[in-house]
Amino acid sequence: MSLFRRRRYTDLEVSISEHIAEAVEELMAEGLSRKEAELAARRSFGNRTLIEESSREAWGWTRLESWWADVGYASRQLAKNPGFATTAVATLALGIAVNATMFSLVSAFLMPRLPGKDLARVYALSSVNPIAGDFAELNPVSAPNYLAWRSHTDTFSDVAAVNDYQSAGLTVNGQAESIRYSAVTPNYFGLLQARPALGRTFAKDEDVPGRNHVLVLSYALWAGRFASDAGIVGRTVRLGREDYTVIGVMPEDFRLLGFVPQLWTPLTVTAADRSAAARPDRDLYLFARLAPGVTPAQARSQLSALARRAEIEYPSSERRWGASMQALPEFLIRNFGIRKSLVVLMMTVSFILLIACANVAGLLLTRAARRQKELAIRLSIGASRMRIVRQLLTEGLVISLFGGGAGLLLAYAGIALLRANLSFNEAVNAVPIALDRKVLAYAMTISVVSALLSALTPAVKSARSDVNAGLKSETRGASADASQSRLRALLVVSEIALALVLLTGSGLLIRGIFQLEHQDLGFPTDHLLTATLKLDAAQYQGPAEERLFAKKLLTRLQQLPSVSNAALSSDLPGGDPSSSSFLIKGERENLTDAPPTALDVVVTSEYFEATRIPVLRGRVFTSADEANAPRAVLVNQEFARRFLGGRNPLGIQLKLSGKHAANTWSEIVGVVGDSKTDSEDVRIDPEIYEAFAQHPTGSLCLLLRTVGSPEALISSVRRAVAEIDPELPLASVATMRQFVEHNRRGNPLFVRILGMFALLALIMAAIGIYGMVAYSTSQRTHEIGIRMALGASRSGIFRTVLSGGLKTAAIGSAAGAALALPLPRVFDAMFSGIQFGAPIVYLVVLAVIVCVASAATCIPALRASKLDPAQCLRVQ
Amino acid sequence: MSNSADRRDLFSGALELMILHTLRLKPMHGYALAKHIKQVSEDLLHIEEGSLYPALQRLLKEGLLEAESGVSAKGRPTRIYRLTGAGRRHLKREASSFDRMLTGITRVLAAAEA
Repeated sequence: MSLFRRRRYTDLEVSISEHIAEAVEELMAEGLSRKEAELAARRSFGNRTLIEESSREAWGWTRLESWWADVGYASRQLAKNPGFATTAVATLALGIAVNATMFSLVSAFLMPRLPGKDLARVYALSSVNPIAGDFAELNPVSAPNYLAWRSHTDTFSDVAAVNDYQSAGLTVNGQAESIRYSAVTPNYFGLLQARPALGRTFAKDEDVPGRNHVLVLSYALWAGRFASDAGIVGRTVRLGREDYTVIGVMPEDFRLLGFVPQLWTPLTVTAADRSAAARPDRDLYLFARLAPGVTPAQARSQLSALARRAEIEYPSSERRWGASMQALPEFLIRNFGIRKSLVVLMMTVSFILLIACANVAGLLLTRAARRQKELAIRLSIGASRMRIVRQLLTEGLVISLFGGGAGLLLAYAGIALLRANLSFNEAVNAVPIALDRKVLAYAMTISVVSALLSALTPAVKSARSDVNAGLKSETRGASADASQSRLRALLVVSEIALALVLLTGSGLLIRGIFQLEHQDLGFPTDHLLTATLKLDAAQYQGPAEERLFAKKLLTRLQQLPSVSNAALSSDLPGGDPSSSSFLIKGERENLTDAPPTALDVVVTSEYFEATRIPVLRGRVFTSADEANAPRAVLVNQEFARRFLGGRNPLGIQLKLSGKHAANTWSEIVGVVGDSKTDSEDVRIDPEIYEAFAQHPTGSLCLLLRTVGSPEALISSVRRAVAEIDPELPLASVATMRQFVEHNRRGNPLFVRILGMFALLALIMAAIGIYGMVAYSTSQRTHEIGIRMALGASRSGIFRTVLSGGLKTAAIGSAAGAALALPLPRVFDAMFSGIQFGAPIVYLVVLAVIVCVASAATCIPALRASKLDPAQCLRVQ
Repeated sequence: MSNSADRRDLFSGALELMILHTLRLKPMHGYALAKHIKQVSEDLLHIEEGSLYPALQRLLKEGLLEAESGVSAKGRPTRIYRLTGAGRRHLKREASSFDRMLTGITRVLAAAEA
C-alpha cells in the first residue's frame, strides 16, 4: 500500500475514532453511564465498518484493493480445501483444454492469415454453378468470362487469374519429379501485395509467349529441392521438358488457405482461350480489387448483369450460370470447406465446457451450503450482499483461471497431438496450427465466462440466504434448504440433458460417417499399388503415341517380378472420374435438355483382373478391341439397373457425347460389378468403361496387383517409367489403402475426435451426477437415521434414494431427447449425401445415459442403506 | 440494514453542499461538523452522523477540502477539514445553481397549486 494511501486511511480512522469518543463524552456529560453512552453514540453513528469502507471507496482504490484481498482470501480458502480445489480446477481445465485445442483449428482455418495487409477491397470472383451444391457459388471461371469481367475497369481496377491445378515434371539433377504449380497472371502477386523473399515477381509482359518461361519458387520447394540456394535467381530449371528461368522465391508466410502450389508460372491467355469453345472450361480462380469508390453491391450487380448477358449470347455453355463475388477471407474459408466440421466440433466442446461448468457449479453450491454460517456472520457484521457475491465470484474466477492455466498446458499438448494427426492432405498440412494469440485470448475469455457460469448462481443464492436462519442453523445446516436442493436437481437435469444431446449428436455423426466409410467399395484394397502420370503434349502428340507409350509401359510392368496384373486407366477405382452424357440406340437417340449421364472411365484389358471388380455378364476388353475395331463398352450393374430396366444389356448400343468422345455407336459387351467412387455420399453411380485402345488418354493411372507388399515395388515401377522416358515423373505413388485413406479427407480423425469428446462428456456428467446425489444423500443422513429408527428397511432406503436420483435422470433424459430430436435434420442439411436419421442411436444413447445415471446414483444409495441408524442420529 | 446513503440523498450533492457551506465559516473537525449540521437542520433533516465521512472523503478527493492534523476541543488528536480555494469557487457555483433549482421547484409547485 502506498504511503499516501495509508495516510488517508489513518486520517479517516482518527477522525472517526475522535468523533465517537467526543460523542460518548458528551452523552456521559448528560448523565449516561459509559456503557450506555458508547452504545448510543455507536447507534447514532451508524455501521462504522460499512461507513469506513464506503469512505475508502470514495478514493477509488478500494475496488482493486478489496479485489486483491478477495483473490488472496479465495486462494487461501482453496488451499485449505485441496480436494475441492483440485476437482474443480481439473474439471474446468479439461473443459477449457478441449475448447482451446479445437479453437486452434478455428484460428488456423476460419481466421486465415492473408498475405498482404490492405486486402479489404480484394474480392474473389466466381461463377455460380446451376447445379446446387456446397461449392456451387465458388465455381472457377472460364477464360472468356475472365477477359469480359476484367475489361470492366470502372468496377474492378485489377483482376488476377489463377489456374491452380497444373502439374508437370520438374527435372533437377536428371531426376524428374511431379510437382503441382499454379499459372497466374503477372499481376497476381501485386494484387495480393506480396513481395518475394528473393528476386522479383512477374513483370507486366511476362505472359507473352516467348517471354513467359520464367517462374517463381515457393519457399518450401526452394528450401527442399534447391537446398535454400541463395544464388537460385537467374538459374535455369527444366519444367515439363522446357527451360525456365527462376526469377524469384516467395517468403514462407506467403500462403492462401487451400492453395498450395510449389511454384508459379505466368498464365498465358491464348487465342483459343478467347474463343466461345473455351467457355465450358471453367478452371480459373479470380481475385479482383474494386475500383476506387465502387461499393461491393455495385460490383455484384455489375457482375450479374455480365452473367445475364453471357447467358443470352452463349446459351449452350452459359445457360443458368451466374456470377458471384466474395470477400477474400470468406472465399478462402468456404472454398476450403472445413467450416461445417469445425462448427460441429466447436458445438461439441462448448457442450463439454457447459457440463464442466455445471459440475463446478454443483461443487460450489455444495461448498456454499457448508459455509452458510460463515457467510451469515459476514453479512451480520456489515458485509454488503454485493460484497459477498463478489467474493464468491472471485473464488469462481480464481478456480477458473487456474483451470484456464492448466487447460492451456493441456491444450498445448492437445494441439501438438492434433498437428501430428492432421496430415490427410497437403492443403491441410500447409496450414500452421499453433497456440497463437487468438487461441490464448479465446482461452482467457472462456475461463472468465465459465467462472461466471459456474459461480454466479451459487454466489447469488448464498448471498440471498436469510442471515438469521444461517446463524441459528446447526452445522449440518442447509439440509432443509429446499431451494438449494432444487437448484442441485436442476444442475443434474441440465447436465444429463447436455450429455444426452452431445452423445446423440456425435452418435448420429459417427454412425453416418461410419456408414460412408464402411460402404462396400466393390473391390479389395489390399495388394494394390497405384500411381499416376501425365503424358505431356510436348512429347506425346495424339492418340497413336499415347497408345504406344501405354503398350511399352504395360509390357515392362507385367515383366516386373511379383506383379500379377498390371493395368492402366483414366481413373482409379474409388477415385473421382468425370461423367459423360450418352444416348441409347432405339430409345433416346436425340439430345434432349437433360441427357442421362454416367461416369466414364477408360481402362486397359487387365483392369478388372487387377482390381478384382467382378465381371457379371459378357466379357471384358481384349486385345481385339483395338483402335479400328467396332467400339465396345462395359457398364456396371447400377447402369443396367437405372437405364436399361430389366433388359439384357449385352448388345445395346450407346453413343457417348463427352468432349473427346468419338461420334460413333458403341456396343455393350459386358456388365461388371459396382464400385464406389470417391464422394461424400453413400451411393453407387452408374458407370461406363471404355477400352483404352479405342479412347486413349494422356492422364494415366497405374494399377498393379502385387504378390507381396505393394510398397516393395515402388522403386522398380519408377525405374520402369524412367527407362521409357527419363523426364516423365511418376506422381501420387500410393498403395490402394493409402489412396482410399487420403480420399476420406480426415473423416476418421473427425470420428475419433468426436468419439473422444462424447466419452469425455459422459464421464464428466457421470462424475457430476454422482457428486450431487452423494452430497444430497449425505445431507440426509440424519433423516435416514430417523426413518430407519422408525422401521424403514434398508432396501426401502436404497429404493428411496435411488428413485430420487432416477427421477432427476428421467427428467434430464426427456429434456435432452427432446432437444436432440431435430439433430438428424440439422445434420442432413449440413452434410448432404449421408442419412443421419437413426432411431437406434437415440435408444442406445438413452440406455447408456440411464445406465450411467443409475450407476452414479446407486453408489450413494447403497451407502445410505448401509448406515447405522444410531450413528446417523448422533450426526449433528 | 438501512443504507445511510438512502437518507442522505435528498438530491445528490446536498450533503456535500452543506459540508462546504458549513466549512466556509471556519475549519472544523468531523464531530463539530456533524454537530453543526445536526443543530442547524435538526428537525428537518435526519442525517446519520457516519454518512458524513464518505462525503468528506469524496470532497477531499476532488480537492475541494483539505485535511490537516489537529487537536479536538477535548485535546484528542483528530483531523481538521478546511475549504480550499477550489472548494470556495465550487460552493459559489453550486449554491447559485442550487438557488436557481430551488426557485424553479418553488415556482412549479406554486403553479401547480394555482
